[in-house]
Amino acid sequence: MENPNDSIAHAPLPTEKTLRFRKNLLIQLWRFAAINFKMLNMIRKGHHQKG
Amino acid sequence: MSRIVILGAGIAGHTAALHAKRLLGKNNQIVVISPNSNYNWIPSNIWVGVGKMQKEQVLFPLAPVYKRKGIEFHQALAKSIYPEGDATTAAPFVEVLYTDPTKASEIGRIEYDFLINATGPRLNFAATEGLGPEGHTVSVCTAGHAVDAAEALQKIIARMKAGEKQTLAIGVGHGTCTCEGAAFEYTFNVDHELRMAGVRNMADLVYITNEYELGDFGVGGMVFTQRGFQTTSKLWTESLFRERGVRAILGAHVEKVEAGKVFYEQVNGTKDVLAFDFAMLLPPFRGVDLQAFNKAGEDISSEIFAPSGFMKVDADYSGKPYEEWKASDWPSTYRNPIYPNIFAVGIAFAPPHQISKPRKSPNGTLIAPSPPRTGMPSGIMGKLAILTIKELLNKGPQAEAHSASMAKMGAACVASSGSGLTQGSAAAMTMFPIVPDYEKYPNTGRSLKDTYGEIGLSGHWIKLLLHYMFIYKAKGRPGWQFIPE
Repeated sequence: MENPNDSIAHAPLPTEKTLRFRKNLLIQLWRFAAINFKMLNMIRKGHHQKG
Repeated sequence: MSRIVILGAGIAGHTAALHAKRLLGKNNQIVVISPNSNYNWIPSNIWVGVGKMQKEQVLFPLAPVYKRKGIEFHQALAKSIYPEGDATTAAPFVEVLYTDPTKASEIGRIEYDFLINATGPRLNFAATEGLGPEGHTVSVCTAGHAVDAAEALQKIIARMKAGEKQTLAIGVGHGTCTCEGAAFEYTFNVDHELRMAGVRNMADLVYITNEYELGDFGVGGMVFTQRGFQTTSKLWTESLFRERGVRAILGAHVEKVEAGKVFYEQVNGTKDVLAFDFAMLLPPFRGVDLQAFNKAGEDISSEIFAPSGFMKVDADYSGKPYEEWKASDWPSTYRNPIYPNIFAVGIAFAPPHQISKPRKSPNGTLIAPSPPRTGMPSGIMGKLAILTIKELLNKGPQAEAHSASMAKMGAACVASSGSGLTQGSAAAMTMFPIVPDYEKYPNTGRSLKDTYGEIGLSGHWIKLLLHYMFIYKAKGRPGWQFIPE
């Protein structure tokens, strides 16, 4: 198997802009709502079935 | 009146108990048997393990909740199941050993009409020499373990502040472990705490795992769509490792742990030693030590339980090779095939096989993440068992069972990578279904629309929201039933 640390060394490195995006309160509030919506949608589709 | 007995009060068992009381409690008796006096919201143990939460924030006593709800509670350890009764009674029953201090070491016999086995795992530290709190590593599997882990972490942070470089090994302590997600969370929470303490440059943080690739998480990895491209959880996870400067040892089976040394073998057969100053390695799981006997008193445990100690249900246990695995191998009703009034839910059911591709080293060592079945799927299975029992009570034994196969069920997973209302972060992921179905989704095994991942502060808020929401639900507060599993 390949050395995973070689693979890690070549993995995409987030830019400063991406890191700021991940911490920006306004953007993250929007993402909070959007991810919750995705999760609720998935829960609605994937709970139990009868039969 | 029927008696529904639930073994275990974790996510699966406790969810089953609350729904049983709500849906069946008017005319039936609901009984919970658990050796623990407290409920533990285990996903937040990670934060206890880095000192960001107190033990009391993830625990609450079960007895007052059950008293308020009218559920009979026995603080006891289930030892044996007699599904046909014995020479003295035709009624099936469970033999228990009380752990309640007022009845300590007393043996009891509790009859049932329906039994739900939600006993969860036995933490099998003994599978690896030197592993665990009684050996040379810490754990976050219980709230108590997590408190000890936080103390050990503070000690090495103090050493780093004093100028000593330290190596931290975090991951899983056996080739067949599950819960790689928890190990991942702890790794990045520790990274975050080291940064907050200003000592990250003094630490070599090493993630040691049985996963063949990063981002496998015991579910064979995921494929996401991001910004018009398909990408993999491998690339996504590697990116986080690069950003945070964490090293990885993959495809590893930990053979033994000595003071300050982890001895491991990798899938390619190489053996090596990792020296450490702090190690948090999760144990493998096996079924709890529950036995079963027939009416004549003969041991029928091997018919009811798989060799792993988990209970057999409606899955395909034929042991077929990886190439022949199918989504339909996975159970959907969680009923024992011999005794259909017995259900096994959450970690307690025996999976038919792994989800990730199992591998063996040239030395014959199995290195294969076990399938995760904690959290959301556990709660869904607990509720499902109650819905089926309701059908059986209303319509008789031929009633149609409810089903919730992990191959038709999605899961939301929020993996914390640092705590803090403005500085925290987490990887929020959804996957649908949990078990890939290559007949329905030929390319990736899962729905690309519903399989998703994103890292950011919002993920931390979601994990925090889930913490408070699920503890509220578990306490059975008003409207708890509207919070989905």
